[in-house]
Amino acid sequence: MSVTMNNDGTDARVEQFKAEVAGMRLRDPATGLDRLLLRLGVLGMIGGPLLALVGYFLSHSATGPLQQRDAIVQAILGLAITVAGAALYVKASLAGFLRFWMARFVYEQQAQADRLAKAVKGGPTA
Amino acid sequence: MSVNGQNGEETLVELRGVRAAYGTIEVLHGVDLRVGAGEVMAVLGPNGAGKSTTLKVLAGLHPLAGGDLLVAGRRVNGALPEDLARAGLCLIPEGRGVFPGLTVRENLRMATHRGIPFRAIEEAAYGRFPQLHRRRSQVAGTLSGGEQQMLALARGLATDPAVLILDELSMGLAPLVVEQLYAQVADLARTGVSVLVVEQFARVVLGVADRAAIMVHGRVSDVGAPHEIESKLSTAYLGG
Repeated sequence: MSVTMNNDGTDARVEQFKAEVAGMRLRDPATGLDRLLLRLGVLGMIGGPLLALVGYFLSHSATGPLQQRDAIVQAILGLAITVAGAALYVKASLAGFLRFWMARFVYEQQAQADRLAKAVKGGPTA
Repeated sequence: MSVNGQNGEETLVELRGVRAAYGTIEVLHGVDLRVGAGEVMAVLGPNGAGKSTTLKVLAGLHPLAGGDLLVAGRRVNGALPEDLARAGLCLIPEGRGVFPGLTVRENLRMATHRGIPFRAIEEAAYGRFPQLHRRRSQVAGTLSGGEQQMLALARGLATDPAVLILDELSMGLAPLVVEQLYAQVADLARTGVSVLVVEQFARVVLGVADRAAIMVHGRVSDVGAPHEIESKLSTAYLGG
């Protein structure tokens, strides 16, 4: 049943397939984006408050208004990093959870439908 | 990097020394397999041989622990399943994989992700399997096993795949339905679609396959013409 490559339609589909595979983006599963985002998020949540705290103490110990403003900017930046880190963490965690939840949901739905179908047909329910 | 197979057809899918594991337990110990364009390749073997895991690895659903996966000559280790599916590699999993809570039409609508119009998908599906047309408003979970498998196959074919991967198409189905499904697979192969099919029950699939392989204990132990493989099957299943 093998098809030698002389059929125009077959050729076209194979060529299209090759082009699509060639254009496919590949990522190394060892450096998954979610894991990277999760780590960045944790780093942000640890580093951000530290930066803000250091800024707070710097502003207290500084006497010049310019130095105080620099310290305040640093503290605000720290808070922004904390918020961004938390957002990344939630996003990456949710992605993992939702994937699991969706797989679980489809499985449960399949099992429920099987049970219903069995019951409708009058067979014994599991 | 295209490789030509023994029949002259271009290799579309190739597994080279593929290893895979569940946790710390390795289940594939270096699988070598290739499927040419328009070829039907049957993979047979007893329960637990690693057949379904091989398909999952190929579809990007299970990570590789080693070896290489080549699709259309490109190394695609770590490719996302949705990217492989979008390119034209279609897996119909064991247990049918239809959405049981959706109707037949709604299930078919799920195949529009490649940009094929829904009307064309419906026409193709009902043309192949007229009984699906009669059941188009019925919830898929209440269809018979054979009809669910027809729906899964129709939905898969509607995406215009270049490579079709079938996992235990015959599972739980009456012999007549299995023959009907494999007749569709044979028709499809004639149009140039490559088919990789995993089966425990060899008789029907060897009738439509160009080549066949036996998998035992996570390795391909034999590859050859269907009649050669048929004679070795009892040894593979019973050991010895």
